Amino acid sequence: MEIEVQNLDKYFGRRQVLKQINFSVKKGAFLSIFGPNGAGKTTLVKILSTLERPTDGKVTIAKAVLGQDPTEIRRRIGLISHSPLLYLDLSAYENLEFYGTLYGVAGLRERAEFLLEQVELTHRRHDLVRTFSKGMLQRLAIARALMHQPSILFLDEPYSGLDPHAVDILDGLIDSIRGDHTFVMVSHNLEKGLSLCSAAMIIEAGRIIFHEDKKDIDVDEFQQVYRRSVKGEL
Amino acid sequence: MLPLRQLWVILKKDILLELRTKEMIVSMLLFVMLTMVVFNYTFNAEKNDLTAFGGGLLWLAFIFTSFLGLNRSFVHEKDEGCFDGLLLSPVDRSIIYIAKMAGNLIFISIVEIIAVPFFTIFFIRFPFYVYWDRLWLFVMGLILGNIGIAGVGTFVATLAVNTKRRDLLLPIVGLPLLMPVLAPAVIISGAMMGGAATKNTAELVAASVKILAAYDIVFFAAMALIYDSVLGE
Repeated sequence: MEIEVQNLDKYFGRRQVLKQINFSVKKGAFLSIFGPNGAGKTTLVKILSTLERPTDGKVTIAKAVLGQDPTEIRRRIGLISHSPLLYLDLSAYENLEFYGTLYGVAGLRERAEFLLEQVELTHRRHDLVRTFSKGMLQRLAIARALMHQPSILFLDEPYSGLDPHAVDILDGLIDSIRGDHTFVMVSHNLEKGLSLCSAAMIIEAGRIIFHEDKKDIDVDEFQQVYRRSVKGEL
Repeated sequence: MLPLRQLWVILKKDILLELRTKEMIVSMLLFVMLTMVVFNYTFNAEKNDLTAFGGGLLWLAFIFTSFLGLNRSFVHEKDEGCFDGLLLSPVDRSIIYIAKMAGNLIFISIVEIIAVPFFTIFFIRFPFYVYWDRLWLFVMGLILGNIGIAGVGTFVATLAVNTKRRDLLLPIVGLPLLMPVLAPAVIISGAMMGGAATKNTAELVAASVKILAAYDIVFFAAMALIYDSVLGE
């Protein structure tokens, strides 16, 4: 298993935001996670990407245990979130160069140029990121996340605020690296999430209330469960 | 070699961002100059001999100027979630701390290099009350004091970065932590200005240098070691 989560609990103060989360993701799989706002989806992604510490439980990513070898995990993962994690007063190339150096990427210039071409930002490579539109920022964020060629990608509402062109670019990039990479995506977009995934999960009030392989999912039933969870009827 | 490259690239990024935005240095310079002008009028520096209070006035101005800058030092990291980007990367947390601290140390020092000559003009009856043979001691006091301020300030600014009242946290937590820096720094700086410190023995100044250096070393090592624990992992 590429990702294994066992008995995960997370508290913020006295409030428990994740309750006994258990699941695993195979190498090359694509897990889509749905749920209402405040369900704990982003907290789960933050824990998986080493940005938050779990209160209890065990998380293993690429055979490294979270809390024991976070640096090794960080080498293997990439995160695309609704925040681009880019410095607004650096240029597109400077941002990629900065992150590439932190990860010790070999052939830094070539890799940055290649990714800028992939996200169609070569013509803006020396412009400050501050001057970019939301869609361009998100495209550059995709390049940043792929700079060190991570084998596991966490996507936290990556389609949020993207124009159709940027959606096509992100779809193309995901398609081009599927199979070799493992994906965990948080989304409110049922159609997109279900079309991409190999397994789907719904989290509500910090608990997993649905988790099935895509082949076993009845889409109508899934949609009903999702809508009831969003309305707080479960 | 990678940790050194990582340290350098974080420091270089901070310097580049400051060169482009000038947010920290300009606000610090304006504040320190304004403080000196206010001190000058308040104490009627032209008529009264203030050299006895020189060290205290100097560090009073510097400490609040530094806090102003340190509060700004994580603004770029806060924008667009960049600090998460930094924390996601496989960089040892102590490297992030040292790089951020080095950046703050450079910016504080630049402001002080510009401010000290103005301070001399405003407050010292030049050149009669300046002990030029103690200039090295004055510079050493500034360097050691700045290391202490940047070390403690960077640590507390990190704690404050995700809090709503981060402008308050730095003076409230930072000032008590910096008292062991300020007291010896005032004594060392005062020693050059012919102030009260010069009436004390050379041993007091020597002891102050030792206290300041020891505090810097212990605090720097402790902060670098526990920096990881203040950041979510």
